[in-house]
Amino acid sequence: MTDGQTVIHAESKSFDSRAPMWWLVFKQELAELWIGGRVLNLLILFTLLMSLTVYLLANNNELSLLPTRQAVFVALEAAITFGLFIGLIISAESISGERERATLEPLLLTPTNRRQIVFGKFLAALTPWPVAFLLAIPYLVALSRGDAVLGEALLYGGVMGSVLTVAFACFGTLVSIWSNSNKISLFICLLVYMVSLLPAQLPTEFHPTPIGLLIDSTIPLESSRQFLQQTLVNSVAVDQVKHFLIAPILMITFLLGVLFLYAAPRLRLEAARPRLNLQFWNRAEVTE
Amino acid sequence: MMNPNSVQPKTLLLADDLRKSYDSSRVALRGLSFSLQAGRVLGFLGPNGAGKTTSIRILTTILEPTSGRFYVDGISSEYPEKIRRKIGVLPEGLGFPKHVTGTNYLSYFGQLYGRPASDAKAVAMQLLKDVGMQHRGDSLIGTYSHGMRQRLGIARALVNDPQVVFLDEPTLGLDPRGQKELLSLIRRIATERNAGVVLSSHLLSEIEGICDDVVIMNAGQVVAKGTVSEVIGQSMETGAQRNLIRVRVPASSVTQAQEVLEGVPNVKQVTLADVMAGWLAVQVMDRVDGDSLEESLAKNKVLDALIRAEIPILGSETGGGRLQDVFLQLTAEAIE
Repeated sequence: MTDGQTVIHAESKSFDSRAPMWWLVFKQELAELWIGGRVLNLLILFTLLMSLTVYLLANNNELSLLPTRQAVFVALEAAITFGLFIGLIISAESISGERERATLEPLLLTPTNRRQIVFGKFLAALTPWPVAFLLAIPYLVALSRGDAVLGEALLYGGVMGSVLTVAFACFGTLVSIWSNSNKISLFICLLVYMVSLLPAQLPTEFHPTPIGLLIDSTIPLESSRQFLQQTLVNSVAVDQVKHFLIAPILMITFLLGVLFLYAAPRLRLEAARPRLNLQFWNRAEVTE
Repeated sequence: MMNPNSVQPKTLLLADDLRKSYDSSRVALRGLSFSLQAGRVLGFLGPNGAGKTTSIRILTTILEPTSGRFYVDGISSEYPEKIRRKIGVLPEGLGFPKHVTGTNYLSYFGQLYGRPASDAKAVAMQLLKDVGMQHRGDSLIGTYSHGMRQRLGIARALVNDPQVVFLDEPTLGLDPRGQKELLSLIRRIATERNAGVVLSSHLLSEIEGICDDVVIMNAGQVVAKGTVSEVIGQSMETGAQRNLIRVRVPASSVTQAQEVLEGVPNVKQVTLADVMAGWLAVQVMDRVDGDSLEESLAKNKVLDALIRAEIPILGSETGGGRLQDVFLQLTAEAIE
């Protein structure tokens, strides 16, 4: 600092920017995620896992005997599972990580609406998924060997992967808002993620049982997997398996509602425990 | 540049009986009331846990008070978004993103306050110049020293040209030259912008030089408030400061000196004024009531005790008249 230098009085007093606040938060978050390298590291890991999966499908004695449709399904399942994991991790750190790094307070001190802050960060957490899906396309092309299943895989896989990524990113953001510790936030999200993967490990003969059918229809990740398996592997018409879409759609609707109608307006410097009494209009934090 | 509207001081900040409890057993703030006029610097003083940061967080809308209200430039605390447009804040222990440049960081916050992008960048560059970082604006924040980050934080607190600026421990981590320059900047923020500045710090001697008003807190309560001279004067009237003797010993002998002095007759209390520099504040009994001879005798006994214990005496002073003494006296209960 130089003694005697006049402090700026801000000759330009314009405060009439038209840029929405969520867009500014989104751009800043993108810069931190992508230029900072966090997402790139996760995408490298994603690529390694996809390469390993496809390598095993192509070269393993047993897996290489799978029909083309089945092989494409397995690779697509891996892409979606790994891809939504990236979104989950990024969203789990989005608020609790800022708390730990002491960078949340200056953001809360601006006049930016809390809902817009959360929306900007939530959108940024979704950006790795399209890139991951694009990275998975060459693997799917290689495995499909010209079969028409490729088109269906890209369409249905893209849609289901996007729905699941949005749902899990929603969940991760919610946990992050309600957690003061990044470790706890990540732990809870990973736990839920692992539990969501369990039904896929159940024996094939379990699925037609009443409990199996209930699990297949109600757990979003499993019902999505069932939907993709039926349409891609068994070539079942979408109309006949559309009941598998109910769970993911309900999950995404519920979580988006809780996130943006309840949790986001209540974003605070320190996490508050969520309360069941739904008072949507607490204080001016909720007002636009 | 002088604000043409600063003809008469305007009340920019008014706190009315603010209270904060976290549950039935933990009360962080017990009735904070004060006002701050334009162009003045208010010092928020108190030991750790006194409630300073809680107070600042309430006044900056980060926390909600349990009861009470405050007004920033006439805007009630019921409208936190409007208040945030009027204030700038440097929180204690502020963190920064590592992979963003200083210019982009300030520009980002300028835009969050509603400035168009080009305007935000111009303001960012000027603010960096004001805080002496014009040559490091394009460097990543991750490469900044602690002092540079602190200056960046102050620049960020000014990005919306606020009317009230809250600075929580702004000199933390700065070297002496940086502290002096920063305090000079704080003074200029108040006078040249006609803004109100709330400054929370432990650097009492420096605060005494730049603060117009002080609020001293202890255990969530306000124990003194007013102009600096009023607060010091109140303490002098009670006699507490007249009976105060300060002695300085080597830092390594502070503990021994404290033990020795506590054993001296007529010594009421010995507190550590500045452990690093070796200053001890010795409160003698109330029989000494302004009689200079009695005062000298009391001082002799204190010094004699140290000499007999073969503790080097590096300096001594009598009487009060310093903010530091008032602070120590009023917060002695918390320190113990």
